[in-house]
Amino acid sequence: MYYPSKLRSAVAALLFVAGIVAAFQAGYFGKEILVEIALYALLALSLDFLAGFGGMVSLGHAAFYGIGGYAYVILSMQAGVPPLAAMGLALVPCFAAGWLLGIVTSKVRGIFYIMATLAFGQMIYVFTFQNRMLGGSDGIAGVPRIDLSAIGIDMNDPSIFACAVVVATGLVYLVFSRILTSSFGRTLVGLHRNENRMRALGLSVRWYKAMASALAGTAAGFAGTIAAQHTMFVSPGMMDWTTSGEVLIMVILGGLETLIGPIVGAAFVVLLKHEISEFTNHWHFFIGVFLIVAILAGGKGLYGSLEAGVARLTRKKPVADDASDAAPAETPEAGNA
Amino acid sequence: MLTDPGYLFVQFLNGLQFSMLLFLLSVGLSVTFGLMNFVNLAHGALYACGAFIGYSIAMATGSFWAAFLLAPLAVCVIGAVLYGVLIRQVRSAGPLTQVLLTFGLIFIFLDAFRVIWGDLALGVSAPTLLATNIHIFGQTYPLYRLFLICLGLAVYLILWLFLERTNIGAMVRASVDNAEMASCLGVNVERLFFAVFCTGCLLAGLAGVVAAPIVSVYPGMDLEILIPTLIVVVIGGLGSLKGAIVGSLLIGMLQTFGQVLIPQLAGSLSYILLGATLILRPEGLFPARAH
Repeated sequence: MYYPSKLRSAVAALLFVAGIVAAFQAGYFGKEILVEIALYALLALSLDFLAGFGGMVSLGHAAFYGIGGYAYVILSMQAGVPPLAAMGLALVPCFAAGWLLGIVTSKVRGIFYIMATLAFGQMIYVFTFQNRMLGGSDGIAGVPRIDLSAIGIDMNDPSIFACAVVVATGLVYLVFSRILTSSFGRTLVGLHRNENRMRALGLSVRWYKAMASALAGTAAGFAGTIAAQHTMFVSPGMMDWTTSGEVLIMVILGGLETLIGPIVGAAFVVLLKHEISEFTNHWHFFIGVFLIVAILAGGKGLYGSLEAGVARLTRKKPVADDASDAAPAETPEAGNA
Repeated sequence: MLTDPGYLFVQFLNGLQFSMLLFLLSVGLSVTFGLMNFVNLAHGALYACGAFIGYSIAMATGSFWAAFLLAPLAVCVIGAVLYGVLIRQVRSAGPLTQVLLTFGLIFIFLDAFRVIWGDLALGVSAPTLLATNIHIFGQTYPLYRLFLICLGLAVYLILWLFLERTNIGAMVRASVDNAEMASCLGVNVERLFFAVFCTGCLLAGLAGVVAAPIVSVYPGMDLEILIPTLIVVVIGGLGSLKGAIVGSLLIGMLQTFGQVLIPQLAGSLSYILLGATLILRPEGLFPARAH
């Protein structure tokens, strides 16, 4: 169950302010890193919505990132749609693809869901990779950014762009926070906990799963439209399954089923990657070690551990349903047995 | 060209050879999967280990056959150590934990390969005994690839005899079907799982070392083979030898002939097949478990 607790709101506000300050104060390279963090944060928090709260652990999330990016490019560069409208329209195929994936996989659970999403992601990846119309393995360059000069905002200014991306991330966070406290969000968590009971209550499991998948896909696609504008370039590389794996790592390292944790995880992994790259190319090794240590330590992740620590210090019992929350990662297996 | 039976026959042999490689990899993964619901994404990394270690042994001794014998054993030892240190602790955790832990291992192995063997692709030459072409049905075909096909079939036969005709094989089958019941009947499922896991690692190492002369050896070769292997496991059905061989043949042939007949779609074909299987027959074609 999701609660926008004081700690979560405080961390979210802190991260947001830090992001805005960094957008104006950091050097050129720092702004690049900031945008990268924000993009991964969007992917990670939408994946947490799907995997942490909805129990649908996807290894194909990067496909939506790519669909959003490519849809924006096709609409704005080939169909002549104005960039701002293209950004909105590009979300339609993401929503549709997410919905379709959710419908098709509504009865698939646990490791089979992971495999199904992996297959979906790779299918989109390979299709794009081999499609000449989409630039094949080279991708498409020269992507325009949205034009907000009418209201006095210059998106080509790196500070403004970084700031806009941080604001967008904050808004998406608020939207997901709102969704999770709505009856839809409660139902989604209920499905994760006990699907049969929800079905017995007369709910359309298939509809809820499709909707959750579509919403998560739309948010990832939104990140894709920003990514395309950021580098002014799209390539199939952005939908490789290892990208999906990295996003999943961020979710876990930050804290599954916390919504804010994945943003912490995204910042941690991206910063670590850049810090380690300063003195060695072998950042994969360190991320791998961190991941394994985090999992063996109980899999709560950075923010999750902080939350547990604070709960212990204030001597209050963690929120009532924590008993059933204790092992969210194990629930999917129940369907497997 | 496409109607030339000789050309198609050569493609058929290529498909068969790729299938056998997939079989060596998928059979261990499938049985550990079915036995304990354990997901090992690092299986591909063990395959790469086999290839790299095989390369080093072949370089040091000058003999491919030394690598052929020793590399799988080395991979088996690496697998046993991994099992003792890490895998045992997450064996009963959910698929998410296992996927992430073994994904972390992929990252660690990737950089370990880079540090030890460098980024460049390495070549291993086929043993002189097999480094010739032979003529079958008017076509020339590398003998080494035929050797691979025979090796895969031999491994299948040995595993089949072992699983169907020995006591331990019966225990494995019983444990895959119902681990709890098997352990009530006195089967040490834990130890059995360890043995099956090590055998899987041994076969992955074997696949790596025999693949080395055909594909070049480089960091990242594990990721390339991992996805088709996982597809074979899911399509074939968890825990079954029959599923592994049928799945391997399906995917091997599909990829080989796909590239020849419909190159635009070739890459997507096996994913489409996987998606269709998961929707229409989520338990796979020949699941070992009845329920």
